[in-house]
Amino acid sequence: MKITFNLNGKGMELDVDPMSLALDVIRGLSLTGTKEGCGVGVCGACTIMVNGSPVSSCICLVGTLSDKDVWTIEGLAEKMPELIDSFVEKEGMQCGICTPGQIVAAAAIDSVGASSPEDIKKYMAGNLCRCTGYQTILSAVEEYVAIN
Amino acid sequence: MQSTDTEFLIPTSVGEALQAIAKEDAIFLGGGTSTALLYKTRLIEPSRVVWLGNVNELKGIRISASEVRIGAMTSVAEIAADSEIARLLPGLSSAAGVIGNARVRAMATLGGALAHADPRQDIPPALIAVDAKASIRSLSSTREVSLAEFYAGFLETVLDPDELVTEVVIPITSNRRSAYLRYTPTSEGDYPTVGVGSSLTFADDGKTVSAAKIILCGVGAVPIIAAQAAQALIGTTADESVLRNAAALVRGAIDPQDDERGTADYKTEMSEVFTYRCLRLCLGN
Repeated sequence: MKITFNLNGKGMELDVDPMSLALDVIRGLSLTGTKEGCGVGVCGACTIMVNGSPVSSCICLVGTLSDKDVWTIEGLAEKMPELIDSFVEKEGMQCGICTPGQIVAAAAIDSVGASSPEDIKKYMAGNLCRCTGYQTILSAVEEYVAIN
Repeated sequence: MQSTDTEFLIPTSVGEALQAIAKEDAIFLGGGTSTALLYKTRLIEPSRVVWLGNVNELKGIRISASEVRIGAMTSVAEIAADSEIARLLPGLSSAAGVIGNARVRAMATLGGALAHADPRQDIPPALIAVDAKASIRSLSSTREVSLAEFYAGFLETVLDPDELVTEVVIPITSNRRSAYLRYTPTSEGDYPTVGVGSSLTFADDGKTVSAAKIILCGVGAVPIIAAQAAQALIGTTADESVLRNAAALVRGAIDPQDDERGTADYKTEMSEVFTYRCLRLCLGN
């Protein structure tokens, strides 16, 4: 089935099984910044941004992306260099496996309008970091929110 | 994931969607958070998936003086973010705000949550506590079912295979307060060990309880309506000893099982504790 959507600002038409997972389709396009972690929508490593909201691509059937505006870490890194800068400056990463998901989640923070440290913490709670580098991740997101 | 022969249809109206579901083993798809999990583990193998994401008439929140109507394809995040829902239905608002994580809330829909009927879900207790009804349509009929009578068993509802929940209708009653409180000892994003939705409606004197509801999730195969416990509140002024007594009565209504979220005994203890705390929340403290 042909699925059309915008990916990282460009129109896409893919001939795919609509029941395949967005995660697999995106990584199949050589966009391997999106990682698979838990595979059940809990850890946030596979976060993509769909119509401005964070979405777990590991539990997202690609057919439901029809006509949507989809962004991955690759596109957001180019579009929002200041967000990447915040993560670099605050050292908001350790081993790095969760980092793309953390950054994409932060990019979508406007979807819930979180701005206080408490709101940011609650919003980012769904993105796990098994190195437990949460303080620096939260500092990075707080800085990004403050300068935007 | 291997390719399958599942048809994927994208209707743009309820009429089209109801036509499309008329096939054996066809299912409706909302946000897909639960369906994708069931599908990727092959617990379901639908012949046809009817995705409702482009059916605009199923989306949105409409509020009048007498009722709140929430379309089935309204996302949980939209419900959690709505300030009027927070004012009129604080129990529903807080239940919507604690489900899973921000990604699940953005994807998951109200109708999908109801149809999925996992007994650990946060929203059903909050909705049953405020007398919510589901509007249900098929090609041949339209009906309303109280959510108190909607659940038939574990992952089972009273919906026929050709029926669609189109919206949820919640009456607005003056002098009614509602609350939802959950207990998640593992992680914030987990299903609760127990969740409690309650409402208290007060008589004209503003003190005497004229109606009460207590509903629990996570401690049975369906949302548990603790009618006896709620009854113990009616006619009282809901003082400390009355709340304690009502909370103790939920023990007789629930049917918890041992699992990773606690033993049945532990869940029973926590059901009492969190019922008491939820009732306190209802009273504003």
